[in-house]
Amino acid sequence: MNTAPKDKNARPITVIGGYLGSGKTTLINRLLGDPAIPEGTAVLVNDFGDINIDETLIRDQSADDKVIGLSNGCICCSISDDLSKALDTLNKMPIRQVILETSGVAEPSRVLQHCHYPGFRPRAAIVVVDASNFSARSKDKYVGSLVRAQVDQAHLLIVSKTDLNPSFELKRLTPQVDCRDAGLIETVLGWQASAENFSSTKPHSTMPTFSAYTWYQQEPITKEKLSTLLAGLDASVERVKGWVATDEGIYHINRVAAHIELNRIDRNWQPDLLGLVLIHHADMNPSLEEFFATTQYPIAKEPLHS
Amino acid sequence: MLTLFKARSVITMNPSMPRASAVLVRDGLILEVGEEKNMQPWLKDQDYAVDEQFAEKIICPGFIDPHLHPSMAAVLLPMEFITAMRWKLPWGDIEPVTEPTGFDRRMQELHRSKPVDEPLFIWGYHQLWHGSMDKARINQVSDIRPMVVWHRSFHELYMNDAAMAMAGIDAKQIKPGMQIDIDKGHFYEVGLGFAINRLNPWILAPEKYAAGLKRLKQVVHNGGHTSIGDLATGLFNFDTEAQALADELEGEDVPFRTRLVVHGMRLTQGGHKPEAGPAMAANLMSRNSRRLRFGKHIKLFSDGAFFSQLAQLQEPGYIDGHHGEWLAAPEELERHIRAYWHEGYQIHVHVTGDLGLELTLDILQKMQDEKPRFNHGFTFEHFGFSTPEQIRRIKALGAQVSANVYYLHELSDSYAKSGIGFERASEMARLGSCVAAGINTTVHSDFTMAPAEPLNSMWVAVNRINHAGTVMAPTERLTQQQALEAITINAAHVIGLADITGSLRAGKQADFTVLEADPLTCDPMVLKDIGIVATVFEGTVFPIT
Repeated sequence: MNTAPKDKNARPITVIGGYLGSGKTTLINRLLGDPAIPEGTAVLVNDFGDINIDETLIRDQSADDKVIGLSNGCICCSISDDLSKALDTLNKMPIRQVILETSGVAEPSRVLQHCHYPGFRPRAAIVVVDASNFSARSKDKYVGSLVRAQVDQAHLLIVSKTDLNPSFELKRLTPQVDCRDAGLIETVLGWQASAENFSSTKPHSTMPTFSAYTWYQQEPITKEKLSTLLAGLDASVERVKGWVATDEGIYHINRVAAHIELNRIDRNWQPDLLGLVLIHHADMNPSLEEFFATTQYPIAKEPLHS
Repeated sequence: MLTLFKARSVITMNPSMPRASAVLVRDGLILEVGEEKNMQPWLKDQDYAVDEQFAEKIICPGFIDPHLHPSMAAVLLPMEFITAMRWKLPWGDIEPVTEPTGFDRRMQELHRSKPVDEPLFIWGYHQLWHGSMDKARINQVSDIRPMVVWHRSFHELYMNDAAMAMAGIDAKQIKPGMQIDIDKGHFYEVGLGFAINRLNPWILAPEKYAAGLKRLKQVVHNGGHTSIGDLATGLFNFDTEAQALADELEGEDVPFRTRLVVHGMRLTQGGHKPEAGPAMAANLMSRNSRRLRFGKHIKLFSDGAFFSQLAQLQEPGYIDGHHGEWLAAPEELERHIRAYWHEGYQIHVHVTGDLGLELTLDILQKMQDEKPRFNHGFTFEHFGFSTPEQIRRIKALGAQVSANVYYLHELSDSYAKSGIGFERASEMARLGSCVAAGINTTVHSDFTMAPAEPLNSMWVAVNRINHAGTVMAPTERLTQQQALEAITINAAHVIGLADITGSLRAGKQADFTVLEADPLTCDPMVLKDIGIVATVFEGTVFPIT
């Protein structure tokens, strides 16, 4: 793992992964068509197939924006030097950030490894999850272990097709946003991995930078104190999700902006992890560590498995 | 003008006349196989010559490797080999080098034999035999000549200082996490892509590539082949490859024909739907020439590389718990297969692990349910790991097997120890069961994954001896007859050439491989060392010196 000091000039690469049909291409097309996409954003797509290149080229005011197609590497030895080639090409261009779409069968962590390339650094792995069939697919004989690994390796999960399965919920603490969220594109563009392995710098653009902070519950908390804790969060916190054990049972917490939902969950069901994940504007408040340090519930390094 | 070739014995692979002593040829076509005395009706009114140069030799049907990669070979063959395994190459045998001092000695010899400013690329290093490698070790051979030492797996390489300077690699650019150990000059995985891009001017230059194909031509000839299959035309770049193949593998001096099978996923890349593939593949046939021919064949891919332990395995998987990889999502593979199945194509699918095989069998079952086909030629390529139950399914679904049997020789010992355990490692390339089930079965080299020597593949299939000397799953051994069928008539069926070659009978092309010894009656242990005297391609003799 990389623990090197961050390279200020290295351009960040945001990886967009997810299984075939999960909605990566739809997301890329939305990104390409969105006025929020900053100048100097290069998009590397796995196959030009369903990307609306012509439309993009017409819409783009900036000649700096590039869409480059990738193909899978050498089949016999699994070496993919297409990405190396594309990155070497981009190195010579005035590019500020890269969005990299993986193939549907790629593991995001392997692709992130490839982002440690001269002139570049990995920013985050965003994985698109199809709400309509994730459950079945994660048990599939052929791709079950792959789609589970994709979700495990994500720094941000985007849940697509929630209209087909409105009650879909991934039972994990990784930050999740719904494909229909109004701020989706902003979030994707500004997302910073908070995992230790990845350094983050402020982007050159004025895009908001979102970061995730995970608070693992180590000791019991009363429901009253939980409510106080949630009310005490500052304005940088955009969203809170998670499960917390209280004196009145386990609660599912979902806070979007100022709206807080606290729902007690079935007595017979236990989440794998207890804690909260907080999605916040890193440029407003770079760390929530301080906040938790002032409470009686400081940061836990390790999750407590319930 | 007729030519009557006489031999000590002719092995025909025609079950109705397995042996003969003469073959009568006109304009490259066999008129009759049998005994000279029976050929008088042809000979009495026509001019003919008796060719007795093979009178003391054995004539076999021309050997066929139904799956290799000329483009990959063209990259590798200009390099120097220092390998732990024996490689017979036309410009000299590569004797095994199995310890570190031998490797250094060989590097020194190569260094001394080359013009001083020529970069030296060496392929075949493996730490298991050759000890740990680093920049300092190569610098000791030369700190002036650029030298690159490539790992046998292709997945990593080492460079000396001069090579890094030549490639313009600046140590300051290199950061941790890039899978480059700059102090050791070691580039692997991500770092390998970085290194290859900078070495490309030396390894993929058009004149190098052309020189590589010229060497491939020699390798194919010396292996005794008269037909080969290029089982992924368009691996790197379709147009460049097709042009280079046309330049180098067509012409009167080329002693073999090549079945070109296009890389299906590359064919429709860039916005074409898989359903457009069959028509696009059919268009390629307009490029056909005498020796280079596309057919109604397509190549598709299931799971990852066997040499990298990325084959997808059923339970209990790999001992260390890692998973293999899919080269395409199962749904994508199915969509491609469906497109070609319904258009009547012969489909070749790269499968390495038993889970990759299971998936492909499931898809084939669906295709048979949707549109039953007979004699469809669906072929499982490589066929590393399998189960006995899958053999029955392959038979029931009417498919065939083209196996890289060399896996067993080079990898079964190490995979038994550090991969999957002895039981499954010993049963890779489960060929005896395939033949017993009546499945059309052939073997290939996937060159450069294994030596392009059909007699060597035959030797492995017959003896199943791995490099450590252990016989692996002896009940899966083939007889000499079965193994010779595998590299001739069965291979011809797999690449759709059985109507013109693969056996010796009236009406087929006069394609022979001429041997010093009889591969059906010799000691099975000497099979790989039988001398190949010449090949005959469509009636023309091409001696092997």
